[in-house]
Amino acid sequence: MWADRLAVLPVIVIGAWAVLLTVADLYIPEHRRRITAILAALGLIVGLVVNLFIQRHNPQTAYFGLAIADGFSSFLNVLFLLSGLLGIAVAHGYLQRQNIARSEYYSLLLFSISGMMLMGMAADLIIVFIALELLSIPLYVMAGFHRDRLDSEEAALKYFLLGAFAGGFVVYGIALIYGATGSTRIAAILSAVQSGSASPILLTVGAALILVGLGFKVAAVPFHMWTPDVYQGAPSSVTAFMAVGAKAAGFAALLRVFLLAFPTLSDKLVPLLWALAALTMIVGNIVAIVQSNIKRLLAYSSIAHAGYILMATVTLGQSRLMADAAAAALFYLLAYLLTNFGAWAVVIALEREEGKGLSIQDYAGLGKKYPALAAAMSVFMLSLIGVPPTVGFLGKFYLFRAVLEGGFVGLAVIGVLTSLVSAYYYLRVVVVMYMQEGEPVVNRDALLHWTAALSAIAVLALSLFATPLFQWATQATLYAAQ
Amino acid sequence: MIIFAVLSGFGLAFLAPAICRWAKERSGWWLAILPFALTLYFFSLLPGLAEGEVQSLALAWSKELGLTFSFRADGLSLAFALLVGGVGALVAVYAGGYFGTKAPVERFYFWLFFFMASMLGVVLADNVILLFVFWELTSLSSFMLIGFEHDRNEARTAAIQALLVTASGGLVMLAGFVLLAQIGGSWELSSLVLRGENVRANPLYLAVLFLILIGAFTKSAQFPFHFWLPNAMQAPTPVSTYLHAATMVKAGVYLLARLYPVLGGTPIWLWAVGGVGAATMVLGGALALSQTDMKRLLAYSTISALGSLVMAIGIGSETALKAMVLFLLAHGLYKGTLFLVTGSVDHESGTRDVRHLGGLRRAMPYTATGSTLAALSMAGVPLFLGFVAKEYLYEAAYKVGALWITLVFLGALLNVLIAFRVGVAPFWLPAPAESGLPKRPHEAPWSMVVGPLVLGALSLILGVFPQVLGSVLVAPALSAAAGERLEVKLAAWHGVNEIFLLSLLTLGLGIGLFAIRNDVQRIAARLALPWGLDTLYQRTLDGLFALASLQTRVLQHGYLRYYLITIIVAVVGITAGGLFRWGGGSLPHLSLDLRFYELGIAIIIVLAGGVAVLSRSRLGAVAALGVAGYGVASIYLLFGAPDLAMTQFLIESLTVVLFVLAFYHLPNFAQLTPKRERMRDVVIALITGGLMTTFVFVAGGIQIHPSISQFFVENSLPLAHGRNIVNVILVDFRGLDTLGEITVLGIAGIGVFALLKLRMDQHPAKGGRPAQAGTKGGKE
Repeated sequence: MWADRLAVLPVIVIGAWAVLLTVADLYIPEHRRRITAILAALGLIVGLVVNLFIQRHNPQTAYFGLAIADGFSSFLNVLFLLSGLLGIAVAHGYLQRQNIARSEYYSLLLFSISGMMLMGMAADLIIVFIALELLSIPLYVMAGFHRDRLDSEEAALKYFLLGAFAGGFVVYGIALIYGATGSTRIAAILSAVQSGSASPILLTVGAALILVGLGFKVAAVPFHMWTPDVYQGAPSSVTAFMAVGAKAAGFAALLRVFLLAFPTLSDKLVPLLWALAALTMIVGNIVAIVQSNIKRLLAYSSIAHAGYILMATVTLGQSRLMADAAAAALFYLLAYLLTNFGAWAVVIALEREEGKGLSIQDYAGLGKKYPALAAAMSVFMLSLIGVPPTVGFLGKFYLFRAVLEGGFVGLAVIGVLTSLVSAYYYLRVVVVMYMQEGEPVVNRDALLHWTAALSAIAVLALSLFATPLFQWATQATLYAAQ
Repeated sequence: MIIFAVLSGFGLAFLAPAICRWAKERSGWWLAILPFALTLYFFSLLPGLAEGEVQSLALAWSKELGLTFSFRADGLSLAFALLVGGVGALVAVYAGGYFGTKAPVERFYFWLFFFMASMLGVVLADNVILLFVFWELTSLSSFMLIGFEHDRNEARTAAIQALLVTASGGLVMLAGFVLLAQIGGSWELSSLVLRGENVRANPLYLAVLFLILIGAFTKSAQFPFHFWLPNAMQAPTPVSTYLHAATMVKAGVYLLARLYPVLGGTPIWLWAVGGVGAATMVLGGALALSQTDMKRLLAYSTISALGSLVMAIGIGSETALKAMVLFLLAHGLYKGTLFLVTGSVDHESGTRDVRHLGGLRRAMPYTATGSTLAALSMAGVPLFLGFVAKEYLYEAAYKVGALWITLVFLGALLNVLIAFRVGVAPFWLPAPAESGLPKRPHEAPWSMVVGPLVLGALSLILGVFPQVLGSVLVAPALSAAAGERLEVKLAAWHGVNEIFLLSLLTLGLGIGLFAIRNDVQRIAARLALPWGLDTLYQRTLDGLFALASLQTRVLQHGYLRYYLITIIVAVVGITAGGLFRWGGGSLPHLSLDLRFYELGIAIIIVLAGGVAVLSRSRLGAVAALGVAGYGVASIYLLFGAPDLAMTQFLIESLTVVLFVLAFYHLPNFAQLTPKRERMRDVVIALITGGLMTTFVFVAGGIQIHPSISQFFVENSLPLAHGRNIVNVILVDFRGLDTLGEITVLGIAGIGVFALLKLRMDQHPAKGGRPAQAGTKGGKE
């Protein structure tokens, strides 16, 4: 029993911290909001320390195989906790400037993170669903945090309705898989599938339905339509967090469930995943070209990146490659986390009240007036394209290599060509910053500038000294609970 | 040491702004010290090469990905590195005079040295991925330098075009590299070179070849990707000199020469590389005919020259490779000079149009000297390096066939014409009477004269004494390109033979063409075709924009209901596909032994569904839905799941109540959708419903666990001491479920109470502010 609790201790810590923070917040005076933020950050740091201490390479199942703590979940925990810390860093000043500083923001953030962490540990489809809801419901509320603004309300409602709809598909899929195999444990599903006792129709359809639900979470085309609306309407700090955290959690489930439970369905699922990845890369990148609002641009960019990460799943069934592809996906997610938060920090630094300062044209002249901020933004844009020497390049290279080794030359070529298309719109931001005259207004918010600066340094430095990260990602192997 | 050669360039780039601020107008001279020192360093490595000493170095970067910081300086690398360093030093000096202190020189020098370092990285890297990294960095710095005068729209467009073409080629090339490393078993060029046999025998050879060729061809402006280079002439002249004539555009040539031992020597190589090169060579010269701008003329002649280099590699014989190395140097020297001269002429006279220029000899004597030397070398006049190179090119083509030598002849002929139009006419011919120059010309400052003079003089000196080059530089470079050790003995004079006569003929005809240049230009301008990928490039861009807008209109319209339809259609597509394509198995046989009351309930449910859809009142629709729900619950009850039925009854009642509460805030119920859309919805609904029904049938045929109801019947008394099985299930067997439901209901109750209280508190104070929270709470 204690071993079980120890295995999922990071989730327990964050969840309990969130509950306590909600209560403690009642006793923190209104003008001392900062304390709540600091306490929340402290909780995340405690979570990081705990995760570090119980990090293990031999997997440890908990609660009769419902959850599992392995290298994969441990890597993801760091990713989620880090995105929480960065999420607080970009949110604190922003919420005050936008006049929506209410301290439940931080508890909601922590609740959502606990859901994401649970997602990384889920070894049972029911836990996948619970984690999905746990991470999503706080996000629905956070998307509507700007209650006075219609687009924020619209974002929250759309996200909630479509999210609930997609959640329904996941449950339906789980039910069908249970019907086919008699279990919701990933390990049990695998053995049922391998023994040939499972109904192939129900299994395939169930897997496809789960794919729909998770595809919605990671914003894969054609389940992506909510993304631009929600990313644009939600407060920017929420979007920054959502774009990284929710996506990573979706991929955590996608990788664990699909790579571990359905390797024998590869002939049926791989064409589906292939098409999903290709479509997502193509649509995300092409539509991004015409965007003039930076939040919408980054929304489509996040769709496109979901497509790249989806490429990792086509190695399904090639056991030699799957571990490599999963590691590549993890590395890519980490690269995306750093780059994306950095870019959002810059966006938030330029955003003013009433949604002003969000047009790409508002970045004109940034290079001259705020050279450091513009340089950081350029680094992020280059990393999003995947140009060396940035960590985004390594991530893409790692992924493309795994995909090419799997024999998917066509998919890799689509990836390369769409990266090229993406160069057009990312560089437009750089062109506007450096090559056009303007008077940009930047908020004085030390935390934001530090976030941008440190992310930029990390994006550059990690591309040159990536070996430990690679080792960490490759050790973050997936295990099916027995 | 060799890694410092690359890194010091990046260091200088970052120091350049500070040096500019400190040295003011003399900064060009100071900044040239490092490139000059690097050139000397590369020279110092040359003697060792003859004895087989190759400088190399490898540092770990990321072994997992096959990445190392590995550099290697063999003959081929050094030939290019010398060009990069030497021309770099002269351009740095030249730019000091060209820009003066007006323009933002800091930015210029930053990107110039950034480029220089990246280019050195390209030619010195041994790891293919490292090479790719530097390759893309040169594209990036080229982008920044072409768009240097960014207030002009044409400069920005040209910058983006050049970047998109070269960087995309680079990405395609990366895919080729990854495949190459897989089939060659190594990421290092030095070991790949030894495994050419395996690579060429591999079935993926063609894929590798074409992917890499696209990278090389885009970078080196080969047909059909040549269009970006003339447009790139929007860059300041020092940039055009350095990047788009002497060095960067040669990166593709370098790569092809470097990979010749790995990929070359096959018939497809001859036709793909040699053929494209020859076509580019002639096309570049032909497209130049209609031009009058000195820079564009030079740009097309550069395309032509790059074509010759690529063609020589394509032919791949020893003579051809020798011609390639010689021509590479000759071209770097004369084309660099002519570009610098063009910049000076533009700078001092205010125009670059050859129709208006003339008689500058007197005003600009030194520039005229450098220019003339370079032009003679370019035209292939004996005793110049260009002549020596052209002799070898003729010889190489001569051995392959008549077609090739005709093409080389055509290309050479056109280049003679260009050489005279750009390098000789503006200085030696009298100025056209009708046109005055925008500025009164005078000699350029020293810093802008050094470059043309040095490079021009080298064209002559090396042409007279080519044997100096032969053993020191050409032999090692050739050995590296050919993949075996070769001796080279060069001579300025080969005696009178067919090839020499052909050279003379080229020269003579070229001068003849020059005499009627104005007619030629007019005719060519009339013939100019709107062909080439330039249009295709523009169309592709426009097409992408149109596609993006279309997607926004069709899919991203913001209407939630259509989002839902899209999702449903996608789900149906995916699952139906799964069902019919992969499902395979037939549906289980259905037994229709329905009891009459079951049938009755089913009919009621269906009728209720129909009423819900067709009802014109909201209340009616909701009530009908409730009836359907109750019907389902009764079926649960009939089949022995009372707990489930209980929950369902509760939920149905609650939903109806909540709906009724929410009606208060909703707008009137109206038929807003047109008939066609409603029909579409009907179709989608029927398909979805049909599919779900099929799943139910399929699922119904499966029984995994034995029915649980028997367990309840048998164990409810002995285990739970209860006679009422339903009660036992609710409070004992599924007690935890019940507790959970009670908790949820309790919390929901508290929430509703809180919201109601909030509303009551607000109403008197704020007067009629609609409590939106109330309706939202209801939905959660």
